[in-house]
Amino acid sequence: MEAPEVATELYVLLSAILFILGTLGVLLRRNAILVFMSIELMLNAANLALAAFARQWGNLDGQLLIFFVMTIAAAEVAIGLALIVAIFRSKKSINIDELHLFKN
Amino acid sequence: MELTLFIIVGAVAVASAVLMLISQRAVHSALFLVVNFACIAFFFLMLSAAFLAMVQIVVYAGAIMVLFLFVIMLLGSERLYPEQHPRFPWMVPAAIALALIFLLAVSLAVIQGEIDLSGREVAQPYVRVVNALDQLDAVDMYLDGERIADDLAYGEASEFGAWARGRYDLALFGPDADPAVDAPLATTKVDLNRGEALSFTAVGTRGDARLVVAEEDLSETDRSDVLRVTVVNGIRSVEMIDVVRGSGSSEGAVLIDNLAYGAASEPALIRGGTADLSVFSDGIRRDRLVTFADRALTPEQGQLWVFTTRAQSDNSFEDVFLSLESNALPSFGSPASIGLALFARYALPMEMVALVLLVAMIGTLILTKDMLVVRRPVRRRLANPPAEPQAPAAPETASRTSLEG
Repeated sequence: MEAPEVATELYVLLSAILFILGTLGVLLRRNAILVFMSIELMLNAANLALAAFARQWGNLDGQLLIFFVMTIAAAEVAIGLALIVAIFRSKKSINIDELHLFKN
Repeated sequence: MELTLFIIVGAVAVASAVLMLISQRAVHSALFLVVNFACIAFFFLMLSAAFLAMVQIVVYAGAIMVLFLFVIMLLGSERLYPEQHPRFPWMVPAAIALALIFLLAVSLAVIQGEIDLSGREVAQPYVRVVNALDQLDAVDMYLDGERIADDLAYGEASEFGAWARGRYDLALFGPDADPAVDAPLATTKVDLNRGEALSFTAVGTRGDARLVVAEEDLSETDRSDVLRVTVVNGIRSVEMIDVVRGSGSSEGAVLIDNLAYGAASEPALIRGGTADLSVFSDGIRRDRLVTFADRALTPEQGQLWVFTTRAQSDNSFEDVFLSLESNALPSFGSPASIGLALFARYALPMEMVALVLLVAMIGTLILTKDMLVVRRPVRRRLANPPAEPQAPAAPETASRTSLEG
């Protein structure tokens, strides 16, 4: 098999950049929905690295792992958004700085 | 070309991620995230993961983002809750510093890590067992003590299975034999190299069994009118055979030349269609052993041909032609290959993931149960701005009264 034109390193680097952007979103944004979107971004970055390494080693296991990650992400989004809606209904806010479930 | 595309789409992906982070409206963020997901799907295509690219579009950019947009619209969150001053002002520089350190570490790891591109471990070797052994109804085959064929009937082939590379002892046993006790009918040593597809063919008789390792080419052909054929010679009466297309002795193209008994030919490309196949003895186009008339040679298919001798019930011998399909393996990242792995090796994890999905579904129902139960005060407060006075009767009540009236 001939060497691919785009090296695996480049994919890993791009994946790292996207992952860091996602991390920044989780840490810096205060809107819970934005935090969730950033988590999705991080999951996708990880998926990209998995796909890159799957091609690198000619091994399908990486791609199957992506499949599972996608499934878990779907479950997580469903639960998370339901939580956000429930919290919004009780607290009237989804700003995560204003959520103090253990105070008062 | 590919690199240019990668850089362009990569820039779009990073830019959309940044815009998603800095845009003040949640709807805009969600739409930028869709762009980002589409870019990732494009990268999946470039990484020969076509099926995952489709799933990415359908599940992520479709289902998940619709959920997000739905909730954003439901809560009206982008207008109601603009970003205020963060409660922890030191968080911003700390997060950016951490991110830069992480990026530096990853870059160093990627540069220093010496990801060895030359030692790419491409496809694993694939093996199967073909039984063309006379005088036995079924055979077992063991590869380093592990059974790869169990009670394989005459003229049958097992499915191709992936094996690790290496050198193995291949042993042939009769049916119901115990490999620890009984002596094998035949043994040989095989080397499994990467990318190979081997058919272990048992030919000969019970007393004089031979194991023929036929290497097949399972890659797809570029042309639609040809098929790949590997020939195994198991005709015991002569030393070598020639296989000729056609029934006469003079005309017809020689397909396989001088194939010794117990040997396998290289994979050959031959033209498809219906043809007579004649087997001649040892290079002399005079001594025709047998002709197999009107054989269908299906193009775009791999075939393993086994010419062998089989004892008949009246103690005579007859030359037999076995044609076995050897279909191309599903290509890397195709839906077929993913499905095969998912339902074979990963059946248990998939069940568990399905269970997680089920739990998530039930959990969502429980979390939003309060919203499903109609409670008037909550409905009224959600439906109307708080400044307005008491709202009129709920529409359900109104319609019911009108129906009753």
